[in-house]
Amino acid sequence: MRKWVWIVHSLCTGFYTTLKHIFRGPATELYPEYKRPLPARSRARIILTADPDGRERCVACYLCSAACPVDCISMQAAENQQGRRYAAWFRINFGRCIYCGLCEEACPTSAIQLTPSFEHADRDIMKMVAEKADLQVNHCGKDGNYNFYDHAGVADAFRPKGGHANEAPPVNVRTNMP
Amino acid sequence: MPDLIIDNKKIQVAKGTRVIDAAQSAGIYIPRFCYFAELGAVGACRVCAVKFIDGPVEGIEMSCMVEAEDGMVVSTDDAEAVDFRRHVIEWMMMNHPHDCPVCDEGGHCLLQDLTVAGGHGIRRFSGKKRTYADQYLGPLISHEENRCIQCYRCSRFYQEYCGYKDLGVMGIAQRIYFGRYKDGVLENPFSGNLIDICPTGVYTDKPSRYTGRKWDFEQSSGVCTTCSLGCSIRVSARYRQVVRLEAGYSQAVNGAFICDRGRYGFSWVNSEKRPRQGRVDKKTMAPQKAAAAAAGRINDLEKQYGPGAIAVAGSGRSSLEALAAWHHLCQIRSWRGFFFDDLAAGPGAAAAVSGLSRENAVSMKAVESADMILAVGADPLREAPMLALAMRQAWRAGAGVFAIDPRDLEWPFAFRQVSAAADEIPGLVSGMATGNGFFENDSRHGRNMAAIRDQLAQSRSPVIVCGTAAGGQATVSAAAGLVQWLRKSKKDARLFGILPMANTFGGILLNGKPGTPEELIKGMESGQIKALVAAQSDLWKTCQDPDRLDRALRRLEFLCAADCVATELVSRADIVIPVFSVFEAGGIYINQEARAQWSQPAHAGGTPVRITGAGGHPPRVIGAAIPGGGLPPAWLAAWQIAGLAPPDSHEAMMDWMTKAYPVTAPVKTMGSEGVRIFPSQ
Repeated sequence: MRKWVWIVHSLCTGFYTTLKHIFRGPATELYPEYKRPLPARSRARIILTADPDGRERCVACYLCSAACPVDCISMQAAENQQGRRYAAWFRINFGRCIYCGLCEEACPTSAIQLTPSFEHADRDIMKMVAEKADLQVNHCGKDGNYNFYDHAGVADAFRPKGGHANEAPPVNVRTNMP
Repeated sequence: MPDLIIDNKKIQVAKGTRVIDAAQSAGIYIPRFCYFAELGAVGACRVCAVKFIDGPVEGIEMSCMVEAEDGMVVSTDDAEAVDFRRHVIEWMMMNHPHDCPVCDEGGHCLLQDLTVAGGHGIRRFSGKKRTYADQYLGPLISHEENRCIQCYRCSRFYQEYCGYKDLGVMGIAQRIYFGRYKDGVLENPFSGNLIDICPTGVYTDKPSRYTGRKWDFEQSSGVCTTCSLGCSIRVSARYRQVVRLEAGYSQAVNGAFICDRGRYGFSWVNSEKRPRQGRVDKKTMAPQKAAAAAAGRINDLEKQYGPGAIAVAGSGRSSLEALAAWHHLCQIRSWRGFFFDDLAAGPGAAAAVSGLSRENAVSMKAVESADMILAVGADPLREAPMLALAMRQAWRAGAGVFAIDPRDLEWPFAFRQVSAAADEIPGLVSGMATGNGFFENDSRHGRNMAAIRDQLAQSRSPVIVCGTAAGGQATVSAAAGLVQWLRKSKKDARLFGILPMANTFGGILLNGKPGTPEELIKGMESGQIKALVAAQSDLWKTCQDPDRLDRALRRLEFLCAADCVATELVSRADIVIPVFSVFEAGGIYINQEARAQWSQPAHAGGTPVRITGAGGHPPRVIGAAIPGGGLPPAWLAAWQIAGLAPPDSHEAMMDWMTKAYPVTAPVKTMGSEGVRIFPSQ
């Protein structure tokens, strides 16, 4: 008797669930007709952002390429005319990138950032290789305030020694006054 | 022999060993910034603090300042010691700038490593950071004084170890400053070592500024080929380019330092002018094809004029493998012979090699413990800079240094010089061995020579340094004779010859009497030599009279050059075969004390990405072959030019060489410090 009650109960709940869903609208979103807004921190195409003052943010420190588990980032650092370290060339092979975000985590200047823009598939694999000009943008991305060179302590064409945040003016070595 | 316990390990060390070294001998690394074995201990940085639990010393002490004694019980990981070190590092970081991402030291920075290891991450002190103005120290070294942690390594090295005074420490209290009195090029020819010894990024390498991080480099341990000393170097390469050379450690040769000439004298490897493609009559082609063309032309000329019309010129720039190949090929093809450039640069080289034996040879490191040094016709600072540094260490330990030389010598230590003319030197040197009372009649040099003789008589382990360039064969023979005489009078006298090139010893070892460049030029002038193969030859550089060489070369019917450097001979050659350099192919080099050392290849070769990408993004085309790669090593090119089947690998080449030249047999079993090979006498 108990067995029969169990069978009827199972059948009814199953049919009831099916019946209920017949009167509900579809949950599937039709892509590409509808593009869902993604959270700002979702991880897709990589960009090189700019400083709040509009200058190049990346200092080509090689930390992102060191952190990258698939070795898809390569670059060459050099010194520009303002005495700043920058990337003479910077290449990301998106054909190899796994969008893990470790580069962003490693970046000491907030230059390299992952964006929600994921639509860059291509049939030609060479088009997946992005050079510096393809990666650079003219905004700060997710980090609107940080300027590495405000804190770095290295002199360049914009700030002398002792001109950074929380720095004393250079020491006068030639005095004996206490 | 004190017995002590460090971290529960029982250790026995020699008397006078410092606790920091005792721990290291047992594989326990105690952090340090100021301590450096060659420079001694000063206890300035306070980061090597350990806890002495029991024994003659108790409590927290600096392990570099305490000598190991019986019954000591030391703990390096005692909570109190760890806390002490953590605070020291935090205090050092108080003024350290926030510039690791743009600092070239990042990645191989001792301060960075220990800061991370000590767990310091956030600066708790909210006061202002101290800053310094930087100085221009010349084209080789960048100065960034903000990063300094006041370990005093640089000033100790510069002033005490090297004896130069233009860089040092200034100021008091919070204003301690390491630098020069004013901007200017550093005078010390060993100043590049500041980069290696600085535990942080105050001194960084300027030529390789921003080129890469240590983890991206292909690193290998090589042998410096700039002079005949064969110092150990660390080679860093990246993107098919040699980026930086650093001092390697070698207990027998250079210790922990190298000279600036060795450190910075490698730009030819990356040069855009370097031959990278084969060339036959101004047409470029693959190196193998060019070599085959050369073999064909040599065969034709041999048929026309006989094998005596073919000559090979080489230099001590080549590896032992290449020299052996050329010596052998000249012999079996009955060519006119192998002509060795180094005999023009160092006429006394053959005598210096034959005068050396297992008994009287001395390593450069052992020169530091000599009690008297006599330099005959030698200027170490110009001819073999690291030797001057070794001589200074001997002088610091109390050795008297004397020189017999016509030149104005300037060495970084006190010495007494007899300014005799070059042709007087052999007589003066052998006079010391032949008889008493010889110098009393010599009014010019008598007093000084008598002083040298007296010092020699008092010394127990004198070293006679002789140059092979200035004095020539007579001087070298006289110096070797003096050493022999001193050894007969029960002194541990040693001979230290300075040879012109890295592998001059090897070239002479394989064949006691290679031809001289003079004979070669005469052969070309007389028209007997019709074809010349310049195998890594510096004939143009070593020749005293370029006009005469120019006329002689014009009489040749065929000039072939196999080289890794764009020399004058390469630009004149009818056929050019580019070869790999020591940085790509490796090679065995025998230094002036007969020590054969293997120099590892640093990278697989090819045109640097800097050149193929013209400074910008490297080309996107990716193939199996390395652009500009696949050149033959110099020894392989030798076989190809001779038109014979070469040994099919480097290993086979080594097998062949040790069979064909049994004197080289020990190289097959040599260790990291090399093996000494003396000519069989």
